[in-house]
Amino acid sequence: MPLWFARGLRRGVVTTRYPDRPEPAAALLPTPPAFRPSLLTAQVAERLVQACPSAALRLSEAAMIFDAGACTACGRCAEAAPHAVAASGEWELATTARSALIKEIPLAGEARQ
Amino acid sequence: MNEEEAAARRLREAIATQFGRSLHIRTLDTGSCAACEQEIRLLSAPHYDLHRLGFFFTPAPRHADLLLVTGPAIRAFDVAARKTYEAMPGPKVVVATGACALGGVYPEDRFVHGEVAKVLPVDVWIPGCPPSPLALLHGLGVAVGRLAEKARELTFTVGDAG
Amino acid sequence: MTAVEPRPAGPLAELTRRLTALGGLEVRGGGATRGAVTVRTLSEALEQATHALAAAPGARLADMFADRDARGVTTLRLVWACGPGYLVTEAEIGGDEYPPLSDIAPAAFVEECEIYEQFGIRPGGGKPLNRVMLPPHAGADFPRLGHAPSRPPVEMHAPHTVAGQAFEFPFGPVRQVGTESLYYGLVTSGEELVDLYLFTWHKHRGVEWRLRGKTPREAVFFAERAEGLSAVATGLAFAAAAEAALGVEPPPQAARTRAVALELERLYNHAAAMAALCASTGLTVGQSAAEIALERLLRLNAAAFGHRYLFGVVSPGGIGRALDAGALRRDLPGAYGELRRAADALLATNSFLDRLEATGKLTAEQARRLGLVGPVARATGLPVDARLAGPAPGPYAAHPVVVITEDAGDVLARFRVMLGEAAESVRLIGEFLDAGTGTARAELPETGGSGLGWAESPRGEVLAWVALDEGGRVTRARLRPGSVRNWRGFDDACRSQNVFTDIPIIEASFWLTVAGTAR
Repeated sequence: MPLWFARGLRRGVVTTRYPDRPEPAAALLPTPPAFRPSLLTAQVAERLVQACPSAALRLSEAAMIFDAGACTACGRCAEAAPHAVAASGEWELATTARSALIKEIPLAGEARQ
Repeated sequence: MNEEEAAARRLREAIATQFGRSLHIRTLDTGSCAACEQEIRLLSAPHYDLHRLGFFFTPAPRHADLLLVTGPAIRAFDVAARKTYEAMPGPKVVVATGACALGGVYPEDRFVHGEVAKVLPVDVWIPGCPPSPLALLHGLGVAVGRLAEKARELTFTVGDAG
Repeated sequence: MTAVEPRPAGPLAELTRRLTALGGLEVRGGGATRGAVTVRTLSEALEQATHALAAAPGARLADMFADRDARGVTTLRLVWACGPGYLVTEAEIGGDEYPPLSDIAPAAFVEECEIYEQFGIRPGGGKPLNRVMLPPHAGADFPRLGHAPSRPPVEMHAPHTVAGQAFEFPFGPVRQVGTESLYYGLVTSGEELVDLYLFTWHKHRGVEWRLRGKTPREAVFFAERAEGLSAVATGLAFAAAAEAALGVEPPPQAARTRAVALELERLYNHAAAMAALCASTGLTVGQSAAEIALERLLRLNAAAFGHRYLFGVVSPGGIGRALDAGALRRDLPGAYGELRRAADALLATNSFLDRLEATGKLTAEQARRLGLVGPVARATGLPVDARLAGPAPGPYAAHPVVVITEDAGDVLARFRVMLGEAAESVRLIGEFLDAGTGTARAELPETGGSGLGWAESPRGEVLAWVALDEGGRVTRARLRPGSVRNWRGFDDACRSQNVFTDIPIIEASFWLTVAGTAR
């Protein structure tokens, strides 16, 4: 056991300071997308909905509905429309209300016919 | 604030008082791919150390305050899920974690319910695939009322300059 | 610890020649299936062909599965690993029965049970078949790949004779915190374990069922989540099967990038297994040291590919996530060094090694008979490794793997194999990076075909077989993660001479998942 004790002392503390302080390693985490409404035409939105394997995207009359709870951050929507989709950088997504994760993203230009 | 919201606020305050400094967690796998479990196991690893926040794992539902549930709620597991939940004495909190548990990945069909909320009364939802230990810590903090929620204010949009 | 050099040989050609000499067989072209030769047999010739293959030196039954096509015809396929390649025998089964193949190849028993539940066809001879895949309430209308059996399978396990009282102790499916749901039936006469059987149907999500109708790129999202801790290996086997079916090859840079991800997956899994071994023996300091290494490796994955578990890296045709080779080169030595130091400290801790030595022993004969794969098989001395399989130009052809084997077949031997493999993985990653990596992806034509793919996951050989229709959509996908093969060795390893407290230790040394078995 003295071997382990000495190792432990030498190794030092690796524990994160989160939640008291931000954790730098969080920058490495994959995060759900953020959409650019000005480029989100009905046509682009259709492509994004088709690309999502997890049913996190669907279309309504004048908006694209994004369910950040169903999102796996797989990146396929960003691949389908790289200019209209960026990484949100958000990973503190826990909520007491499921509806808080469902967002209406307005479509660009005219409403879908 | 209406009556329902006031009741919810009182409940959350009660939870924060009861669980805020000492919370015992039982995990429940309703059919995950196993990645969520690996991230949950890392909560007790040196990099994250949930004990410093007053959170503890317990194998016994009888001693648990919070049920941390993964997986898309496979129907063949329903009985085990209900038994585990009912073995926990109140007050108790149910946290669904991972895209599968929140309704993503697997749609509702003959194999799965598709989301944990169809089988158990969920109080907190933690997205991710899998949710990282940091996201889990944030979720547990929200569950005991120690950390603020951000999801409501997020828009998941960027402007043209972004 | 012995390192076995891969030996290129021509047993596949020899075997094919011998099979065709039996008569009643037709060899179908091997080019598009990349090292997998397909031999179509008449169902009358199936038993003879299986005898010949089972008797052939170096041949291993790797999988058995069925398919029911649009005409209602059920085809039985056996996949044999022979030397550097694979051979698939196909036989159309008219009626409900086929020859009792597990009498010839015991490795096939679990698959016979699964085929009965999913397709309703059974081996002749009336041997009782267990329920393995579907839950007890799965009636005739439960979603299946074929159609329901006329009589349901039984809840049966190996008969046991023990002097005195033996009782069955049900455990699970809700088990220790942070472990997957799994039901064990423990048959014990007290402390000693007489028999152990598993039910994994609590976690059956119907992955093969839901892949149907999807394009390969749509399907790989679900294939990699069949067993999330082998996401790269399973995704890679599936992608390789689709590529073989379509006659497509990923660009060499992309193939090497996939291999980098595969080795990174091996590294973090072996670190996680080490942590689990320490946890099972109650050595908390060792567990913490291993967990520090594991966390650094997961952060390495995130820095290199953008995802801690490497989801989305493999995409049919090539790569789905870009590799930051600079970040990988920078962070790999530190992360591996952490793993190495923890392992060295463990190898110097006698109280830990004492729990591992002679525990959960398997012989090479058991491993061969049951068709085990991965570190479990290599720890008994069998040099099976899917990275040796297949002809050039796979990435491992130019960068040969040194296969690590041990002899003792116990938990300690499996631990040593994993440590040797971790060092080997680091070396291979360096070679792949030096040879050049990239994110190119070949286009997939929208045509039909069928193909076999494989990869060496951290827990053993993963096989995938896929049939695509003329529009390029899946009509049948078979996924066979390493866990499916190795759980059948688990009860052998746990039985006799082992006590209850050894079970978690043996389970950690196998490092399988329930998700990969139940799919």
